[in-house]
Parts: sequence; structure tokens; C-alpha cells
Amino acid sequence: MGLYFRLAWRNIFRNKRRTIITAIAIGIGIASLIFTDAIMIGMQDNMIKSLTSTYMGEAQIHNKDYRETQELEKTINNPDQLTKKLKNEKIVKAFSKRVKSQGTISSPVTMKPVMINGIDPQKEKIISLIDDSIIKGKFLNRNNKRGVLIGKEMAENLEVGIGDRIVITLSEAETGELSQMMLKVTGIFDLLMDEMEKGMIFINIDVAQELLNLKNKIHEIAIVYQDLKYSRNKTTEFTEKYSDTNNETANWPTLAPQLQMVIGMQDFSLSIVGIIIFGIVVFGIFNTLFMAIYERIFEFGVLRAIGTKAGDLRKLIIYEAAFLGLISSIIGIIFGYLLSLYVQHVGIDYSGIELAGAAFSGKLYPVMEIRQFIVHPLLIFIFTILVSIYPSIHAGKINIADALRKSL
Amino acid sequence: MANSIIKTENIKKNYYKNDIVVKAVRGVDLEVKKGEFTAIVGPSGSGKTTFLNVISGLDDPTEGKVWLKNKLLSGMSKKELSNFRRDHIGFIFQAFNLIPVLTAEENIEYVMQLQGVPKNERHERVLSILEEMGLKGYHDTLPIHLSGGQQQRVAVARAMVSKPLIIFADEPTANLDSKTSEDLLNNMRELNEETGMTFLFSTHDELVMKRAKRVVVLKDGKIEKDYKK
Repeated sequence: MGLYFRLAWRNIFRNKRRTIITAIAIGIGIASLIFTDAIMIGMQDNMIKSLTSTYMGEAQIHNKDYRETQELEKTINNPDQLTKKLKNEKIVKAFSKRVKSQGTISSPVTMKPVMINGIDPQKEKIISLIDDSIIKGKFLNRNNKRGVLIGKEMAENLEVGIGDRIVITLSEAETGELSQMMLKVTGIFDLLMDEMEKGMIFINIDVAQELLNLKNKIHEIAIVYQDLKYSRNKTTEFTEKYSDTNNETANWPTLAPQLQMVIGMQDFSLSIVGIIIFGIVVFGIFNTLFMAIYERIFEFGVLRAIGTKAGDLRKLIIYEAAFLGLISSIIGIIFGYLLSLYVQHVGIDYSGIELAGAAFSGKLYPVMEIRQFIVHPLLIFIFTILVSIYPSIHAGKINIADALRKSL
Repeated sequence: MANSIIKTENIKKNYYKNDIVVKAVRGVDLEVKKGEFTAIVGPSGSGKTTFLNVISGLDDPTEGKVWLKNKLLSGMSKKELSNFRRDHIGFIFQAFNLIPVLTAEENIEYVMQLQGVPKNERHERVLSILEEMGLKGYHDTLPIHLSGGQQQRVAVARAMVSKPLIIFADEPTANLDSKTSEDLLNNMRELNEETGMTFLFSTHDELVMKRAKRVVVLKDGKIEKDYKK
């Protein structure tokens, strides 16, 4: 084994230029796989983050019938007990209570249907990006009970600005009686998401509870975890713990199935890209090995003549391919790391582009994982060895006399 | 047949060239005894290399039988044949037949490594044969840094070091100048006389013919003359 290992190692450096070019070509293939994988994770994280951090949160707790019926009466069961428990959850970074209702908003000019969101301004600052997206005026505060935040487009439609008055009308829970309140526009937000800008307003939660006659009842608890990874699956230990016969806890894949689908499609695209890159790399290796064999056919004839068995010759070719794969993998890992590191530093600007209801926020950054630096090079390495089997069989089958007739 | 190293019986070898059958060897009977220094000679296309390939087990005859050390080659499997060549036959080809990535020592010890000879013994035998071949101090040199003559002497050393029954040499002087050829042949002749090792050449080099103790002339795939000197 030592003899052919040594021979194979030296053989791959016989034609240094070819070996280096081939190794770099394969290495670029590996680096592309690593980078594509990393940027895809970055893109998905960005989309998830932008969707969840805008307003949705990474998970939500509702009454188990609320999401389907949107009925005002379907409030969360035992909200105080729940929030007490949530405060002690290590994986939960922050949470915020919300009240929601359909209603209308009127200005002297026009009236529009709207989703009224009662929020806790202090908590919401941590959970969502509404405070960051205020382009005019100020965010809500607990002391300003009559304040309202409206979207940029809504403000244009209603022809109102900061300090202008609007009237919201909604139906009280239980009785269904109409309830109205005049509010003052304290802030205008621009969230880059049409649906939110056109159809959502935000007021203080206690005002909303009062208007809806909900007392301390709430419709939603939005949660942000310590790490996005806790929200990747639909069902987790956490969601099960906080779901019972009255309440349901759902992570973002349940709340935003369209995004989950987009991510599934991206994973599929990555597989296709991976297969194409693999194909190119594999044919490159195949070609290089065959070239190397034809070039050395006389030498193989000599080796066979002096007693080298066909199996040993096959072993030699496979070892050479393995070394080529190994060198290429190292090059690929280095290239892949440097490329990802560079892009991690500068980022790729996709901000403002909306996909599946989620706008990319800021730049995209590749997310490097150890898995990428093991799985992709290892796959190429294994493929290199598998690909070398056919040329090695071919080399083992050479007719010695014919091989010795090949002049150099 | 007791002293016989090679014995052939009605060897015929045909091959196809552009779909036309070429009868390269047309029924050759030959016996080579231990210690002979024989040259198979003939013009290009006379079938000498084809015949050499057949009797050394590198190629199968179309018809006929070959015995090497009383063993019928056609009765051996490919693996047995490979082992037989490794253990009992030495080969010298035209120039450039060394493994370029191995040093002179590694080239020479290659067959011994296949045979499983211990490292120390291999090293001693390599140094000794290199000295005999006038290549002392070149054990660590790659073929590319050796002259054509030196490379062929390493090839001779590689063929001889495992003490085979016979050495087949196909045009060993083809790429050498006459002075180098003469030196190489002197080397081989001395080794033949000192060790009693059998040499069988395929050549059209006059120098080899002169140095050979027996000359077999092939013409159109048949033995035309067979004489000892």
C-alpha cells in the first residue's frame, strides 16, 4: 500500500501545471458549492428575519380558534399565567402582548378599512421594527393614550399628517356594539411591505382593550427567541409546551407557510445548482484521469510487464484520483472560506426587494457553517474516487504488448 | 529439456491492422538454454518484437505453445502469469522505460518490493548492483537527471536485481549512441558470464549481433537462420 501511495502522490505532481489547473477548477467548484450554500442560508435568514422582525415575531400564541375565525372573543386563555411562564423561558428573548381588530379609519377626506393593532410600545420596540420605520413623527408611548401610528400610503390616502386627527370605528367584543375614538397621528411608518402600510394602524394596547371592551384580554403574544434556529421547525418542544386545548403556539413556518415554501424551493434550486456543479467537476476529473492514463500508457505497459498486477494499477489510479480530490478539497475549502469571508464583510445589497411577502432588509451576508466545509468537499472527494473507478478499470485492462508499442 | 529456459512449439501470432490480418509470426520453434546470450534479429516487420512478447508472456499466441522453465504459459491465469513475470523474468525495453517519479534506487527495488523483499536487503542489493553497473552514487537520482546510457543501465539493474531466470531485452540500444551501446552491452555480457543469467534480445542493432553468442534470424515471421558463434 505504501508503494502505490507514494507513487500516486508523486505522479500527480508530474504534470504540475495540469494538476494545479485541475485542482483549482475542482476547488472552484467546491468553493461555489460552499458559497452558494452559505449565501442561501444568509438569504433565508434574512427573509425570515425581515418577515419575523418586521412585526410578526418568530412565534405567536393565540386562542386555538383565533387564527381561523379572527373573532374578537377568541382571546388567549390565562394570559397572565402564560406571560409569567414566558418570562422564565431561557430560549425566549422577548415577547409582546397584542390586541387586534378589524375596523375603519376616517379622516375628513375619506374612510378606509383597517386592521387595528393594540400594542405595548415598550415591548414592541424589542419585538418589531415599527419604531425603526417611523419616517415622520414619533413612536407610541404609554402616556400618550390618543396617539396612533399609520402607514405612509394610508396617510397619503387619508391626506393626513402628524398631529392631524382621525377617527377609528370598531365593534366591541361580546356585544358587537360600535365603538369610536378620535386619535391623533403621532407617527407615520414606512415598512416596505404594502399590506402593512395600506392596512394597519397601531395604538396603545390599553386603549384598544378599552375600545373593544376586552378588559385585560389579549389576542396574540408575539415571541422572539434567543436564536432563530428555535423557530425553524413547525413543531418544537416549546410550541408543544405552550399549546393546549385552549391556546396554540405556532412558529413562523406555520404562520407564514408561503415563506416556508419559498425556502423549500430555494433548497431545491441549491440541489440543482449542486448537481450541475458536481457534473462539471466530475467530467473534469474524468477527462483529466483519462488524459493522464493515455499519456502514460507505455509506462503502464512497463509496470504490468515487470509484474505489477492489474489490481495494483487500478489502485494506483484510484489513489491518484484520491490525492487530486484531497488537494482540490483543500483548495476548495480555502477559496470557499475566503470568498464567504469577503462577502460576509461587504455583503450583497438586496434591500427593498420583496419575496413571498418578506422584504430583504439591508444586505445579504453568507452564513458559514462547519457542515458546508465538510459535506461539500467530502462529497467531491468521494465522487472523485468513484469517478476514477472506470478509468482505473480501463488502465487495468490494457494489453501489455499494445501498450509497449505506444511510443512517447 | 532439463536445461531449457524457453521452449516454443509452432508459435503463430496474427493481429489485425485496419481490419486486415497481419501474420506477424508464422510458426516458430525455438529452444533457449540457461546462460545463453541470444539475439533475435531481423528487419522491421520480421516479427521479432511480437515473438518476444509472446514468449515472455506479455501477449498470447494465436497458435502454439510456450514453456518457460518447463511451465506452459497458456495454462496460467493472468494473475499467475503476472507473478511469474515478477519472479522469473526481467525486462529491458527501449529507452525511457523507467518510472520517472522514482529514483534510480526506487526503480531498481520496485520488483523486489512487489516480491516482498525486506527493505534492508533491497537497499544492499540495489547499492551492490548499481556499483556493478558503474552507477555508484546515483541511487538517489531521478531518471530525468541521468543520461540515456545511465537510464538503460538502471533498467538493466532493475531487470537483474531480482535474479530472474531470463532477461528479455527489446531493442535496448535503440536510442543510444554507439559508444554507450557498446558499454551497455559489455555490462550485460559480463553479467551473463559472471552470473550465468540468460539474455534474449530482439534487435536489429549490428552491435548486439556482434556481441551475441547465438543469433536467430527472423524473416517474415519465420526463423531463417539460427547459429552460434
